[in-house]
Amino acid sequence: MYGFEALTFNVHGGYLEAIVRGYHSGLLTAADYNNLCQCETLDDIKMHLSATEYGSYLQNEPSPLHTTTIVEKCTLKLVDEYKHMLTQATEPLSTFLEYITYGHMIDNVVLIVTGTLHERDVQELLEKCHPLGMFDSIATLAVAQNMRELYRLVLVDTPLAPYFSECITSEDLDDMNIEIMRNTLYKAYLEDFYRFCQKLGGATAEIMSDLLAFEADRRAVNISINSIGTELTRDDRRKLYSNFGLLYPYGHEELAVCEDIDQVRAAMEKYPPYQSIFTKLSYGESQMLDKAFYEEEVKRLCLAFEQQFHYGVFFAYMRLREQEIRNLMWISECVAQNQKSRVHDSVVFIF
Amino acid sequence: MSGQTQRLTVVPTVTMLGVMKARLVGATRGHALLKKKSDALTVQFRLILKKIVSTKESMGDVMKTSSFALTEAKYVAGENIKHIVRENVSSAALKVRSYQENIAGVKLPKFEYFIDGETKNDLTGLARGGQQVQACRGAYVKSIELLVELATLQTSFLTLDDAIKTTNRRVNALENVVKPRIENTISYIKGELDELEREDFFRLKKIQGYKRREVERQREAAKAYAEEKVAEEMSLQKGISLSSAHDMLSLAAQKDQDWKVDSDGFVLRWISRNAAAAATSPYYSAAWCNAFTGKGTVELLKDQDHEFEKI
Repeated sequence: MYGFEALTFNVHGGYLEAIVRGYHSGLLTAADYNNLCQCETLDDIKMHLSATEYGSYLQNEPSPLHTTTIVEKCTLKLVDEYKHMLTQATEPLSTFLEYITYGHMIDNVVLIVTGTLHERDVQELLEKCHPLGMFDSIATLAVAQNMRELYRLVLVDTPLAPYFSECITSEDLDDMNIEIMRNTLYKAYLEDFYRFCQKLGGATAEIMSDLLAFEADRRAVNISINSIGTELTRDDRRKLYSNFGLLYPYGHEELAVCEDIDQVRAAMEKYPPYQSIFTKLSYGESQMLDKAFYEEEVKRLCLAFEQQFHYGVFFAYMRLREQEIRNLMWISECVAQNQKSRVHDSVVFIF
Repeated sequence: MSGQTQRLTVVPTVTMLGVMKARLVGATRGHALLKKKSDALTVQFRLILKKIVSTKESMGDVMKTSSFALTEAKYVAGENIKHIVRENVSSAALKVRSYQENIAGVKLPKFEYFIDGETKNDLTGLARGGQQVQACRGAYVKSIELLVELATLQTSFLTLDDAIKTTNRRVNALENVVKPRIENTISYIKGELDELEREDFFRLKKIQGYKRREVERQREAAKAYAEEKVAEEMSLQKGISLSSAHDMLSLAAQKDQDWKVDSDGFVLRWISRNAAAAATSPYYSAAWCNAFTGKGTVELLKDQDHEFEKI
């Protein structure tokens, strides 16, 4: 439809698209979630999961099972699938797949830097990193004594280097609050990813722009809400908003001056897609906002699978897997803590 | 094994009695005071027990809520949120300190928490999950409050329990061992003193009896002697002794074989039988014999029993 991708896509990407669609059909269905919600103990959950694709990962775990173990093993499965796809990919798909994991990489880097600042053990920190965001020289992050060295020695070689240099000069690295640094990096990453997708063109560009715009807008709303009442100034807040997306630039102006959730709601209701989200919430409530955002995201991700011959399916698949792992974590915690009544509060059905 | 309450081994004197009585008074007063202390402590104990029960129940609820808040935070902000939060901490912001409180004489430890410094985590989860993280933080602060309170209550509970046991032990010891012992000692001392008094009294009475009998006997002897003397005086004046003549005749009638026929033999025999009188005053009896026989001299003959002198 966009540029004759149907002619040439399958040459390089056909195999992997098929693989990823196969993975996609292995996601847990609503029936599975219903079964899991009925479980009484974690062993029941393990039994149900052994009938799904997670079976091989969980069957060797001794009981008593812990919720963190379940999450770990499911993440492990995701990592295995990702690596399998990455090794088979060629350019530009391989770059695209790598882009998907830069978010986790940023989280890991920030975690190790924080831990080093507070003098924690490097090995312990490495164990706490997200597996999708690991890169080879990550352990050397702990060697650097301050941020300047950090950048000079380590980060320059990683794919994250441009994010550091674009948004921060090396003086800022020393003083900035960790959270602000993390969010600045993430903003740079999103913009970079957006540009890359635009370069790819075609269906990929359209679908990915939509998904990334939603991500950027969601972050903007969250930043605004979470920085109400903190010492984050309006200018700082505005600096953290990405420069693309539905809210750019006027929505950002409004959000930057918001001091209250209701003001945020007023600002968002001008945009029809987000208006529907905010009508689900009653006045003054923000607990359900995150779940509403997740639901919207899942809807859009599922739509990505409707089209063929684009890279968006890979991104969508990774995100859907992550949501599934979140669901599993929620269900296991509710079962383990005997809060079965709250199970349906946060489970987002994918199928 | 509650053996017989012995008594203390003491010397049973009056001073000892005074000392024992003082000790009994002390023991009684101590017993009353300790009982009051034990009652006060028991009241406190019951109060604390009730509070512990209610705190534990609310503890269960609060912990459940806070773990669930953590789950919500993990759901929204990602599983790594707990690592991120923990690595951002340099030192604890919430600390606990302990101090002592005095309840009815027992020092109970109490804990209270205070906030020392601030961990800068207002911006944690800025892009997603910030609200949940702050809610989780609030929930856990509340559970820490409850935990500190529960710790205080439980340590006071244990300390009070110990103190009550000790006090009750002392009360029982006083009641069942010390006081009976002292009372037994007192009654023993009193008994001993009474016995000594009775001994003394008895001894006194006995000696009085002896003395009285002595005096009586002497008085009798003196009276008899005095009478005889008077009679003899009279008979000497008259030349004959009525009493002795009467006696002699009767005696002669009685005992013949003892009599030697002598001019003044029967007189001598008679004298020998009244040797006591004769011994006391031979001159008197000799004079008497002379007077009786009309002779000038009397020869006292030796006999088996008595010695006669020849005058």
